[in-house]
Amino acid sequence: MRVTKCRLQSLTAPLKPRTSDIHPTPYSWINTCTPGPSTGKLAGISIAIKDNISYDKAPTSCSSSILRDYDPPYTATCVQNLMAEGAHIAGQTKMDEFGMGSQTTHLPPFYTPVHNPASPSPDETPRSAGGSSGGSAAAVAEGRCWAALGTDTGGSVRLPASYCGVVGLKPSYGMISRRGVIAYADSLDCVGVLGRDIDTVEQVFNVITRPDEGDMTCASSSIRLIAFDISQRHLPHKGIEGLRIGIPSEINQKVSSGLLDYLKGEGAKVEEVSLPSIKKALPAYYVLASAEASSNLGRFGGGWFGSPPERQSRIEGESGEERRKRIRTEGFGTEVKKRILAGTWALSADEFDNTYLKALHLRQLLRKDYRNIFRIPHPLSPSSTPQNQAGVDVILHPTAIRTAPVLGVKEAKSSNEYQQDLLTVPASLAGLPCISVPAGEGQDGWPLGVSLTSQWGMEGLVFRLGKAVEQWSKRQ
Amino acid sequence: MIILSRWGFARPISLPSCPYSLRRYATKTKAIKGEEEWETIIGLEIHAQLKTGRKLFSPASTSYDEVPNTNVNLHDAAFPGTLPVLDLHAVRLSLITALALNCQVNRRSTFDRKHYFYHDIPASYQITQHYNPLARNGKLQISQGENNVKRTFDVGIHQLQIEQDTAKNQTVGDNTLVDLNRAATGLMEIVTEPDMRSAEEAGAFVRKLQGLLRRLGSGDGDMEKGNLRVDVNVSVHRYGTPFGTRCEIKNINSVRFLQAAIESERRRHIQHYVTSPTTPIQQETRGLNELTLETFSLRSKEEAMDYRYMPDSNLPAVVIDPEYLSRLRTELPEMPWQVVKRLTDTYGVQKRDVETLIGLDESGFEGIRYYEDVIGQGEDKKTAKKSMNWIVHELLGQIGKLSIPWSPTLIPSSLMREMVLMIEDGRITGTTGKSIIKHLISAPAPSVSTKEVSLQDVLSNLGININEINESSIDIKTLCQQAISNQPKSVADYKKGNEKVIMRLIGEVMKLSKGTADARKVKEELVELLKE
Repeated sequence: MRVTKCRLQSLTAPLKPRTSDIHPTPYSWINTCTPGPSTGKLAGISIAIKDNISYDKAPTSCSSSILRDYDPPYTATCVQNLMAEGAHIAGQTKMDEFGMGSQTTHLPPFYTPVHNPASPSPDETPRSAGGSSGGSAAAVAEGRCWAALGTDTGGSVRLPASYCGVVGLKPSYGMISRRGVIAYADSLDCVGVLGRDIDTVEQVFNVITRPDEGDMTCASSSIRLIAFDISQRHLPHKGIEGLRIGIPSEINQKVSSGLLDYLKGEGAKVEEVSLPSIKKALPAYYVLASAEASSNLGRFGGGWFGSPPERQSRIEGESGEERRKRIRTEGFGTEVKKRILAGTWALSADEFDNTYLKALHLRQLLRKDYRNIFRIPHPLSPSSTPQNQAGVDVILHPTAIRTAPVLGVKEAKSSNEYQQDLLTVPASLAGLPCISVPAGEGQDGWPLGVSLTSQWGMEGLVFRLGKAVEQWSKRQ
Repeated sequence: MIILSRWGFARPISLPSCPYSLRRYATKTKAIKGEEEWETIIGLEIHAQLKTGRKLFSPASTSYDEVPNTNVNLHDAAFPGTLPVLDLHAVRLSLITALALNCQVNRRSTFDRKHYFYHDIPASYQITQHYNPLARNGKLQISQGENNVKRTFDVGIHQLQIEQDTAKNQTVGDNTLVDLNRAATGLMEIVTEPDMRSAEEAGAFVRKLQGLLRRLGSGDGDMEKGNLRVDVNVSVHRYGTPFGTRCEIKNINSVRFLQAAIESERRRHIQHYVTSPTTPIQQETRGLNELTLETFSLRSKEEAMDYRYMPDSNLPAVVIDPEYLSRLRTELPEMPWQVVKRLTDTYGVQKRDVETLIGLDESGFEGIRYYEDVIGQGEDKKTAKKSMNWIVHELLGQIGKLSIPWSPTLIPSSLMREMVLMIEDGRITGTTGKSIIKHLISAPAPSVSTKEVSLQDVLSNLGININEINESSIDIKTLCQQAISNQPKSVADYKKGNEKVIMRLIGEVMKLSKGTADARKVKEELVELLKE
């Protein structure tokens, strides 16, 4: 890996909080406190968190002007869990505003950019770290923190992981508490973990995956127990022996045959599978995510949260409603406004049946497709579908259609974008665990990742296969 | 059990409320010509606060009249990243209410968001149940005579849903002040079918519902405090013609105002159709002016908002196990109207008296239980009626005058029972009974020992010996003769024809007998003696 290799020692290097000069930095806030002695599974370990995860010691702004300098009065459950195991919160990382974007370029005007640190040579043109958790991926890649938390709504952890050459996990929906995570789309949002390798990601994941009474969508211990049981029964006794890997025929991008040969050599079976609803499901994502965003972002601009833009008083002659309009117009960036408008439209009385309800239906169809191709039963309804004994355990495909794009180059919207979403969105719609693992590099020398998706609750399985992919990468 | 599966109000218009002293009531206006040809159609939308003590989705306490913004959890203020956690007690209370209203409970109900931008809703959406409410298709029977209604009929319940209340806001000068104490308090919204035909019928429904909520403990039904709010839909049409356009009057906070609002609206509609029969009345949302008792326009339906209802994916679906539901059904307590019917049918007691007993404790029915303890098992109608009189008229009458609150331990039911039976046997007089009650309520025995206090002890305390006061042993005639000789002037007045004076003589006898004589018999005896 070309990533600068450093762990704790790098923290001793002075870093300026809220760097405002031209220097790019993945951080929006840096913790200047020296970590004290700590105990626990993550004792003394530095972890960065995305700027949409509430931490009462830091301004949590979602990279939005509307929440500039908003100090959350509480700390998200996942961050509490990290700190309870002795972790040091290194800082908060930049993101696309409210998680909307895929290059960490939708930033407030006063932010410096985020550059991808995985450059094959020092004189390369700066490239995107991906998004929306680009700050978290870059922070891990440049090595100033050991791991980072991101959030993934439609690929926001996996895509930057692929671009920056790190491991990025989007767990099953409901595995990590969302309490304290500023919502983009509640039914899709997952807290994810980024780290240099699978061991790191697994270690952090194990600390933060637990039931939370403060989040009713967070899986209870009884469901976790069922999932654990099923997972134990399906984990290969040794390595990946007997593991069945599916390659979706609907996805054009193929992983290198070298990797597949290696996995076969390790005892895995590789076969083609079909997810017929996968293409139709994409529009469902755009509808659902923007509809939920329009609802969740309605709270901003009402003057409640104590950020300076929210605290603005009325201009003379302005009504309360006009004040709200003004703050929202000035406070939200273009991409956010676009999605709020699209979502509002999808939920309007005339459109609801034809857009929102249809999207829900398509999402159901996609879930059914996944159930049909997996050999492992769904822990939330183990008996609802007949088990497909000939099914696969993990689905494998590239995470991205390309290596990291050069920053500032405006590309025409194309079917490429659609192809890219096809690689990350389906796992989000179905709520399935999906990990992106570095697997070689593109012709330009920048990293590439592969995605491994399994049945709900089968994080253990994706870690197992992920380690095999890591082994293969090391041999390259 | 309530299983939560994973995959799962209307906006208040603040009206200035008036202190009582300022409320004037409009006098009856003249009848409109041909008024009787018109039928009024009424439907209600009721918001009843769930009596759980906490908010629907946060652990903050519910409160009334406290310092603004002191009972607020971050979720109530919609802080970014906060999530709702449903209070299952609120679901249970809503379920028993739905069952008592004979509703069909949906096996699976879900929560939705209703969106609008306003100061009273920090999240810009209210969590409610729009697509799959908790229950549907219920009914509540209103009987002839309740609130003076002229017929017995069913009011259909369209649906019952759980939702959040909004914050209170107040305009002070140029600013709007918001109090989040009420924000996110749990409400049941109960929507009726348009089955009521008069203001009295609507009033009867609300009163009956209040009793039901109080009995179940699911709500206190307090309209003054805003814990029960009523929106009413009114339309009129000529008999035999299609229903007219309806108007909604929002946020009514007493049954009297509800009836006044319906009456005002009914007249307005008829007046409109009589004066301009060709133009339909405008569909709109109206408020009630509590001073004039007239409704006024708040907004027309054209300004109606698109609430963009959307499922709330932060809340799992509420899935009700049929076994849990049938257990709740069997645990439903006897309803106020059921106990009225049972006691009046069984014992021939007065409906009003039973209602007085219910009023003593609308939730626990302590008054009814006390009465049933006094009359005992399988008691005859006569004792049951007498006991009712002694409890409702004598006991409650006396403590009412002294402003003592009633409690079942004030006079233990066993003591009351013994006393009533002795009076019936004629072993003591009614007058003695009254004295016993007076004695017991003015010097109540310490609650611990009340059970051991026997009627004998009380009587000896009062210096009354049962044997002595046994009717036969009192020589009423002697006492009467003594009274006549003590009061010659009264006797003379009586003989001149002033018959009322006999009361003075009766009083004299009572004094001589230390209140133990039976006044009725004394009067008979005196009348006899004075004839001589």
